[in-house]
Amino acid sequence: MRRLLRIYRVCVMANLATAISYRMNFILNCLITLIGNVLFPLVTVIIYQSNASFAGWTFHEALLIQAVFILSTACASLLFNGIMWSTMSHVVEGSLEVLLIKPAPGLFLLLAQAFNIESIGLLAGGLAIFGYALGGVGGMTLMTWLLFLLLFAAGLLVMLGVVLIVAAISFKWVANSRLPEMFESVKAFGRYPGTIFPKMVVAISSFIFPVSMIAFFPASALIGRWEGYYVAAILPCLLFAGFGIWLYNRMLHSYKSAGG
Amino acid sequence: MMFKTIKHRFQVMRAVAFVTFKEWSAYRSHSMVSIFVGPVYFLVQYYIWNSVYSGESSINGMTLPQMLTYFCATLLINYLTMDFADWNLQMLIRTGKFITFSLRPVNHMFFALSQKVGHRVLGLLFECIPCFLIFYLVFDINVLPANAFYAVLSIAMAFLMNFFINYSIGMTAFWMVQSSSIRNIFNLCAQVFSGAAIPLVFFPRTLQLASFFLPFQYTAFVPAMVYTGSYTLADVTLTIPQVLLLQLLAVIVAGAVCRLLYAVSLKHFTGVGA
Repeated sequence: MRRLLRIYRVCVMANLATAISYRMNFILNCLITLIGNVLFPLVTVIIYQSNASFAGWTFHEALLIQAVFILSTACASLLFNGIMWSTMSHVVEGSLEVLLIKPAPGLFLLLAQAFNIESIGLLAGGLAIFGYALGGVGGMTLMTWLLFLLLFAAGLLVMLGVVLIVAAISFKWVANSRLPEMFESVKAFGRYPGTIFPKMVVAISSFIFPVSMIAFFPASALIGRWEGYYVAAILPCLLFAGFGIWLYNRMLHSYKSAGG
Repeated sequence: MMFKTIKHRFQVMRAVAFVTFKEWSAYRSHSMVSIFVGPVYFLVQYYIWNSVYSGESSINGMTLPQMLTYFCATLLINYLTMDFADWNLQMLIRTGKFITFSLRPVNHMFFALSQKVGHRVLGLLFECIPCFLIFYLVFDINVLPANAFYAVLSIAMAFLMNFFINYSIGMTAFWMVQSSSIRNIFNLCAQVFSGAAIPLVFFPRTLQLASFFLPFQYTAFVPAMVYTGSYTLADVTLTIPQVLLLQLLAVIVAGAVCRLLYAVSLKHFTGVGA
């Protein structure tokens, strides 16, 4: 375990060194992700400025859901999104064996190399919006904060599952850089209050492809607007991430190449 | 002489577009991802705006059916006009491959435009037409343009405008080797000010006025409004022919700036091997 942690630390340091080798580009990219975050909830802001609203949700409540979505995206981008891109690139170039012959689990090495410091801007922006949104909502207790953290962690499992499933599919559906787009589009259902969608969509987004757990469930729980089935939906999240890990490892074992 | 030049250019464009079409046809599933992504994206918008319009017949002068048609139109127009000329040019400059274009009897800007034509014909067949049918038949949205001739004209100009903007951004790589950040900044602005995320009439009046002088609205908002048959921005209502003239003016300015930048950039470029 200590050895793996050491490897992880070395990989993170190497990623940091790579990121800051083009300093100007690095700083600008961090700033852009930060500014991009301010614009992310633009549609919501503009809707509420036009004196319209998502039925039953105040501006700060709707914004809180979007802030949690940004935080979840930032954590995923910082920690493991890179697995998807590096797998796609390795499969296209036939260079995955370089990784597989190393004396550490392949998935772990990809995870260690996936650390992306540029997402720090995304995290900062998400935290700023989260703080602003919290200022306009009530109903928070220690219990709701604990529940929020639990559901947020479950949401991260969904994000990890998505990344691994997309990466696994890229072994078979080679060189399709638009593959993540398909999953991103579905994730959009978790970015808005679930009450605006019909029950059928809510059921699917809670238990089959649990994208509601990414933002809607944790944010609702934090402000005390939660229901029992939110907790029950943790199980599909665990299964989803488990399925992603199983599928990825299966594809990794069946990977064949003649070298790149 | 002039006719001969135009004919030659047309032949070059047709040849490059055909080769690009054939090349990308091998990856047609890449384009066909849009058949899933487009309707899913639209479905989310559908529920959002249905919720927003509950109890409201009109917001900022747009009714719910108009709003839904607007989003369908922007999606379909995007399939016909999108390009990645900026990314491509930056990659060629960074890797040094751009030098090979200095030896060819056709300038790269024209070559890239011809490539875009071929690529978007593929977009028409595998993205635009299937999504059009899904919106029309499954979602029962009125996606027929108010005036087909005006719509085609406006989309053609948006096609050129998008190319000139992206190609100009790509040329920053002649000065900054790694310029993905500049591209990201511009993409961010384009996303907001093009009207693809939300119609520009929802913006504060100052930003609506500023949009007249920015290139972004001519790539999405203008063609979408021409498609739907009416145009109002910052309380200024224009007839469709007037909007088309405004768009033409913007395209001419963008084209001239792009051509000027291209001439300056080529003087700046140095490369050894590829």
